[in-house]
Amino acid sequence: MDFIGAYTPGNLSYLLKGLLVTLEVAVISIVLSFIIGSLLGVLRYAKIPLLSKVIAVLVETIRNLPLLLILFFTFFALPEVGIKLEIVTAAIAGLTLFESAMIAEIVRGGLVSIGKGQIEAGRSSGLSYTQTMWHIILPQALKRMIPPLVSQFISLLKDTSLAVVITLPELLHNARGIYNGGNYKIVFPILLLTAIIYFLINYSLSLLARALEKRLDTDRKQGTGLRKIRQNQKQSRPIPESF
Amino acid sequence: MISFQQVNKHYGDFHVLKNINLEVQQGEVVVIVGPSGSGKSTLLRCINRLETISDGKLVVNGITVNEKKTNINELRKNIGMVFQHFNLYPHKTVLQNITLAPIKVLGVEKSEAEKTAMYYLEKVGIPDKAYSFPSQLSGGQQQRVAIARGLAMKPKLMLFDEPTSALDPEMIGEVLDVMKSLAEEGMTMVVVTHEMGFAREVANRIVFMDEGQIVEEGSPKEFFANPKAERAKLFLSRVLNH
Repeated sequence: MDFIGAYTPGNLSYLLKGLLVTLEVAVISIVLSFIIGSLLGVLRYAKIPLLSKVIAVLVETIRNLPLLLILFFTFFALPEVGIKLEIVTAAIAGLTLFESAMIAEIVRGGLVSIGKGQIEAGRSSGLSYTQTMWHIILPQALKRMIPPLVSQFISLLKDTSLAVVITLPELLHNARGIYNGGNYKIVFPILLLTAIIYFLINYSLSLLARALEKRLDTDRKQGTGLRKIRQNQKQSRPIPESF
Repeated sequence: MISFQQVNKHYGDFHVLKNINLEVQQGEVVVIVGPSGSGKSTLLRCINRLETISDGKLVVNGITVNEKKTNINELRKNIGMVFQHFNLYPHKTVLQNITLAPIKVLGVEKSEAEKTAMYYLEKVGIPDKAYSFPSQLSGGQQQRVAIARGLAMKPKLMLFDEPTSALDPEMIGEVLDVMKSLAEEGMTMVVVTHEMGFAREVANRIVFMDEGQIVEEGSPKEFFANPKAERAKLFLSRVLNH
């Protein structure tokens, strides 16, 4: 094992380049699939005649295909019908397509998990369907969606490495590039470093999710309301004056 | 104020409501009793169209409930509803629970809505819980908040769907007391309940249902002392003798 030979500035900056591509593809896919997925999830939940059925078929089809196949499809099959995408675009398109379907189901699941009684309470007070969704159902559902959404985002970030098959120059692709030259003494150190990078990014995402969940937690069992809790927080952690 | 005319409702092959004819006048307190599955709750939920009817005519506040052109939100803002399981919004404080509909539906200013909310919280006896979340309250307190939430819309009519069935025995009294004082103030109320004491004391009229039909209807006095229908006799002997 040759750690010193592995972690040369040249190798490190090559890994970094890969990391940036990974992040770029992941972030864009996360944003796009979150928007598209939420929309599909809400529309499927709303039981709009025909539209909801069509979305259901679409979502179920995509959800039950391997991501690898979708990536092959966007890069190798689409050109056959005249749509030729750049490597990065093809990766983003494939990931977004697949993840949108997954997120649609998470969003729908979150909405469905809020009891019918909540809708009835809202509607019977004269609120419209949209108002009931916006003020009552969505805020509660969103809180429940956060853990599965974040774990979906984490697997998306990891799944960017599958785009290695369409030669996307992402983190794992570049890691492999470094040791493929034939120097097998650096395989272990390079893969170790790559693993650490993936882990750090994904783990901090998990931590972020946990913090977010805590902030949105309204099912408080103790204390006497939000104001009190906020006051207590302020007291226990005074902000320095120089801040 | 409420008028059922030959109303029927089917769930598929199941005939839930059969030829319902019922009139409720303004200021009346009508208590619907009967065995489980007799269609009491369904009847109540038809009034604000949480359930639709299959045929017949249902008029509430002068509005025909089951017409396509009926603006359902317009109808509902005049009808308060209290549910068996309270259905408070868990992510909102007590105050926010009560002010949401007045602000969004009636377009009342927030400060005005809060004032009204506090007035009704005083009335149901828990103004100190205004900034609590529902999960911090007991069942009885939650149900009283739910009643205040209904009242804050200043409705012409209040519907109660087994409001004490999910409560610990100790908490039933506090909720019934609130309902009683509401009745004394002249609120029109339709109540589905198993609380016979409340029915006897507060109702102007008892409606007894069985298998989707109104079997008997009358003043509490005659209903409890001298029920005519066999089914009602049997029901009363079961609920009163224990």
